[in-house]
Amino acid sequence: MNITLIDSPVANVANIARALRSVGGELCLTRDAGVVGDARKIVLPGVGSFIAAMRWLEETRIDGALRAAVARGATLLGICVGHQVLFDSSDEMGATRGLGVLRGDVRRLHGPLPVPQIGWNRIECAETPLFEGIASGTPFYFVHSYAATGVASEIARAHYGGAFTAAAQSGRVFGVQFHPEKSSTAGLRVLKNFVESS
Amino acid sequence: MTPVSATRDLQPVTFEVIPSLDLLDDRVVRLTRGDFATAQGYGDPEEVLDSLHIANGSRVHIVDLEASRRGRPIATSIVRRLAKRDLRIQVGGGIRSFDDARAWIDCGAERLVIGTVAAEAPALLASLVAAFGAERVIPAVDVRDGIIRVAGWERASAAAVADVFARIEGLGIREALVTDISRDGVLRGPAFGLYRSLNTTVRIIASGGVSTASDVVSLRRLGNVSGCVIGKALLDRRVELRDLTARVSVPDSVPIRVIPCLDMRDGRVVKGVNFENIRDAGDPVECARRYEEEGADELVILDISATDANRTTALEMVRRVSVAIFIPLTIGGGVRTVEDFRALLRAGADRVAINTAAIRNPDLISQCAREFGVQAVVLSCDAKREGDRFEAMVRSGKEGSGIDAVQWCRRAEELGAGEILLTSVDRDGTNAGFDIDLLRAVTSAVGIGVIASGGAGRLEDFRDAVESGGARAVLAASLFHDRVLSVADVKTWLGRERVPVR
Repeated sequence: MNITLIDSPVANVANIARALRSVGGELCLTRDAGVVGDARKIVLPGVGSFIAAMRWLEETRIDGALRAAVARGATLLGICVGHQVLFDSSDEMGATRGLGVLRGDVRRLHGPLPVPQIGWNRIECAETPLFEGIASGTPFYFVHSYAATGVASEIARAHYGGAFTAAAQSGRVFGVQFHPEKSSTAGLRVLKNFVESS
Repeated sequence: MTPVSATRDLQPVTFEVIPSLDLLDDRVVRLTRGDFATAQGYGDPEEVLDSLHIANGSRVHIVDLEASRRGRPIATSIVRRLAKRDLRIQVGGGIRSFDDARAWIDCGAERLVIGTVAAEAPALLASLVAAFGAERVIPAVDVRDGIIRVAGWERASAAAVADVFARIEGLGIREALVTDISRDGVLRGPAFGLYRSLNTTVRIIASGGVSTASDVVSLRRLGNVSGCVIGKALLDRRVELRDLTARVSVPDSVPIRVIPCLDMRDGRVVKGVNFENIRDAGDPVECARRYEEEGADELVILDISATDANRTTALEMVRRVSVAIFIPLTIGGGVRTVEDFRALLRAGADRVAINTAAIRNPDLISQCAREFGVQAVVLSCDAKREGDRFEAMVRSGKEGSGIDAVQWCRRAEELGAGEILLTSVDRDGTNAGFDIDLLRAVTSAVGIGVIASGGAGRLEDFRDAVESGGARAVLAASLFHDRVLSVADVKTWLGRERVPVR
């Protein structure tokens, strides 16, 4: 099935593209809000700062296109900062509004462990189509200083000082805080589940 | 190999961090390795207690040093005062008779810490248990080089460690205070090996050398240690009690990363000892693939010859490697500008390590952190031992910078580095083990993660870098490259040693 991969300059799109293709995804890379608005299945990558990611989405009007696509029933997967911007807001450098297609807020990781979290962490995941074939306790690769926590749409959580949302789903909107494209075979399985979902 | 007992799998539900005050002449003091000549004063016991902000109901460990030498309770009036607070006081030092013990209980001590008697007078130990209850008696086992020391550590006991523990277990005693006195008051980390070697059902309270939050986490991870006493590091304000308590109260089973490193020159993998005597060792793509299959958690590639002239070769190599693997890739070497950094990310690197250029222009760290996020910025610090300090080196470890490595790492964190790749120039390529002192100095000074690098030679080295050094990731080049050990070997072994791995 054809996947519209948003070619965000604040993301390492090449790695995600390669991972999606390796599990059978046919990709259309775009920076065009019109293309995003008409898309059926969309991947929104992102690394680095929430603010920079949102600013670019606003400048390109992809923010509105994404909301419209979701309202029409498109399937959307956000990855890392692409996952974070799905929520209502982030407290990174003061409050910044997100896309608001998932309820909840993104907060800085707190607790005594080093921030950013850089490395593999085990997730406790619900039995959902996105995690088909993934046992609870499987490690994925995370690189982040912020995370949504305890949101209603949580389908996987991990612990880093405290619990945080490792993946969320509400209807056809999915978000993963980890990097599936860097999580070896487990990550590719999650992407395969997404690519093959109807 | 490590003895394993059935109790090992039962992680203590709570782990107590117990502040320790040693009293001499009505003052709080610290001795180094039990030597009275080294006594350093910290002032009035009540004032010291106030300054530590101890939570109500917590345990406090009091040692009456003078009593341990003279063989009868001396600091009774102080203990009586301290016991009026909402604290659970345990007292040790010089308890040699039933009357000594009675005197401390009468002062309000909740528990008795008993050294000499535990080793040399089993009948008295039994009578104390009978009179006050097994839970109020804590035998102190002070060990140096595998031998129990008594009488203020000044004399060796004839009793063997194993026999003493058998006796303690037989009396129904629940916990024992175990001190490696060669570690006491020297801030070089607890004697993890000693605790690991104890095969007993008695819960161990570790004492000696505890000085960082990471020490406390590592002790807890051993499984048979249920608490620790900490003195010097608290009194010197190197750590705060509440930080230690917070750190140990959260579960930390986040996997430690095992990272193979490829040293590159002109598109080929090379090897060198102490950054010199370089030789060719293969194609990076083949190596990278093999490492992912072996379970590598990340791959680091350092282009040790990177200059402007062969920049294109380096970028092409990064492109080739990054499309061959699905694990994170960190690239370092010759990064001088934000544009160099960007080019490597574009070529497929997930993170970029900067070294010499950051020392010459620290702003580069903050510029890259702003532009690409702190998670993308790895400070690569090559450190060389200069006496008891470390100097940050430049130009692949060849030239000194005059900058203190520990201070530099702390500064780099402030500027926006997300992690530190810390290489001991002295140990690099020697297989002599990571430099634990260097690791401890940096990991206790910064809040970001540290990757241990330089010197890995044996399985134990990887464990020690995490357990004693506080590293969140361990890196090796030649060891993996020469197949002395595989990444899988290291991870399997670490897992058995209770170090969390993927």
